[in-house]
Amino acid sequence: MTPTLPDIMTGVAVTLSTPLPPEASGDYMVGRAGMLTMLAMLAAQEAERGTAARVWENAAIRALAAKAAPAYDGALGGVLAKAAGEIDTDFTWSGLDAANAALRRLLIALHERVEAARDNDLDREIIGLYGEMAHARRLELAGG
Amino acid sequence: MTLPMSLTERLEAYLTRTHGKPANVKSLSRISGGASRETYKFDAEIGGEAKGYILRRDPPGSLIETDRRLEFLAIQSFAGKGVAAPEALALEEDGAELERPFFIMGRIDGGMPGSPFAADPYGEHGGAIGEQFFSIMGRIAGEPVQGLPILAAADIPAAEDCWKQQLDYWAGVIDEDEQHPQPIVRAAIRRLRRSPPPPAAKIAVVHGDYRSGNFLQDGAGKIIAILDWEMAHLGDPLEDLGWAADPLWSLPGSRTISGTVSLEEGIAIWERASGLSVDPKAFAWWRLFASVKAQAIWTSSAKEWRDGGFKEPILAFSGWYTARRQDQILADRLAHLEAL
Repeated sequence: MTPTLPDIMTGVAVTLSTPLPPEASGDYMVGRAGMLTMLAMLAAQEAERGTAARVWENAAIRALAAKAAPAYDGALGGVLAKAAGEIDTDFTWSGLDAANAALRRLLIALHERVEAARDNDLDREIIGLYGEMAHARRLELAGG
Repeated sequence: MTLPMSLTERLEAYLTRTHGKPANVKSLSRISGGASRETYKFDAEIGGEAKGYILRRDPPGSLIETDRRLEFLAIQSFAGKGVAAPEALALEEDGAELERPFFIMGRIDGGMPGSPFAADPYGEHGGAIGEQFFSIMGRIAGEPVQGLPILAAADIPAAEDCWKQQLDYWAGVIDEDEQHPQPIVRAAIRRLRRSPPPPAAKIAVVHGDYRSGNFLQDGAGKIIAILDWEMAHLGDPLEDLGWAADPLWSLPGSRTISGTVSLEEGIAIWERASGLSVDPKAFAWWRLFASVKAQAIWTSSAKEWRDGGFKEPILAFSGWYTARRQDQILADRLAHLEAL
């Protein structure tokens, strides 16, 4: 998993409070300060968009599961139908990520079956969803 | 009570022992030089002769499981062959006086790396830098591997196995280090397995991390050293070309490779320098592979950062910003290939 916002802020605090040996007090320390600045600026973006991105992604995968469930019998069809009926109730970062991990595993399993069945329409839809997922979680560097 | 020896004192002890003359180390300073090894610059006067050096030492934990001997021998392989590389001087795989494995190179002064995340890293010299960047990469690709020092530590793969060896390795890294499911890179891995590339046109030394940011340039349009050979191996030379062309090393929407030349110009320069032709199907495979390999590295970064107690911010940046950007690149590439 890419680090969560709580991970990042913990890391910034740990780095700032860890003394460096004398040989790391020049260029390396300057580079490290620049890196911490960049992390703080990216953290501001994640604070603004991160929760919405997770809620949206979970809902999008569930909507896809609802659409695909009738076409897949057996265990996968059952899991898809069950996932399609769920909603997020824990809106902490860890709660949303736990739900997201289960949904992403389901998405991987579904995509493998779609590829094996040569279901080109659904394949295209899943690849399109990947683009939206990546965009929703984007982080942007200044000037980028 | 005896105080522990400083790194400077340890280096002096090592250099004095190995040279058989008194060594005086000055100005030891850690620099940012890749996330997989601690990198230091220092000056040393040994038996009255002063020179500048670079020390690369294994950290307690390492982002990429790389073989320092391979890195050392890869650098040695191109000494005096028109590929600007530092002089490889000493390798200590058991750590000797410095406790952890390390090697020492000659320092090349007067150069700076260009950041792959800067808007215009080479300014008006972009064209000249691009010409050398692709031409040096082509010379590495065109160099016959027979007799090169790297053969002492690297196996020669069969031409038809290059892709699978690399894909298996990096997919394995994701299997091992992934801490949250990654559907996008998983889809890319399956796509690569379904459509293997043709066998390598030749077996070459692959630098493994040949990109903007991993060379020194003098600020006036000249590349003076190719750095970071830590992922060097033998394989399909298109691997380096695909890696260098990954959009991660250029700003989003850029029409050039890292502010140098266009991809088409770069390929033409590479073909002239290497004497090889770029098969478009094979190149498309290696470009997608480059993003998978990169995502594997960022996946390891995130794990290393957590397991290491959140201490090295470069690992957080790699495991976070670059991983997110790489997902965008992978999703774009999958959509593009799907539309063909």
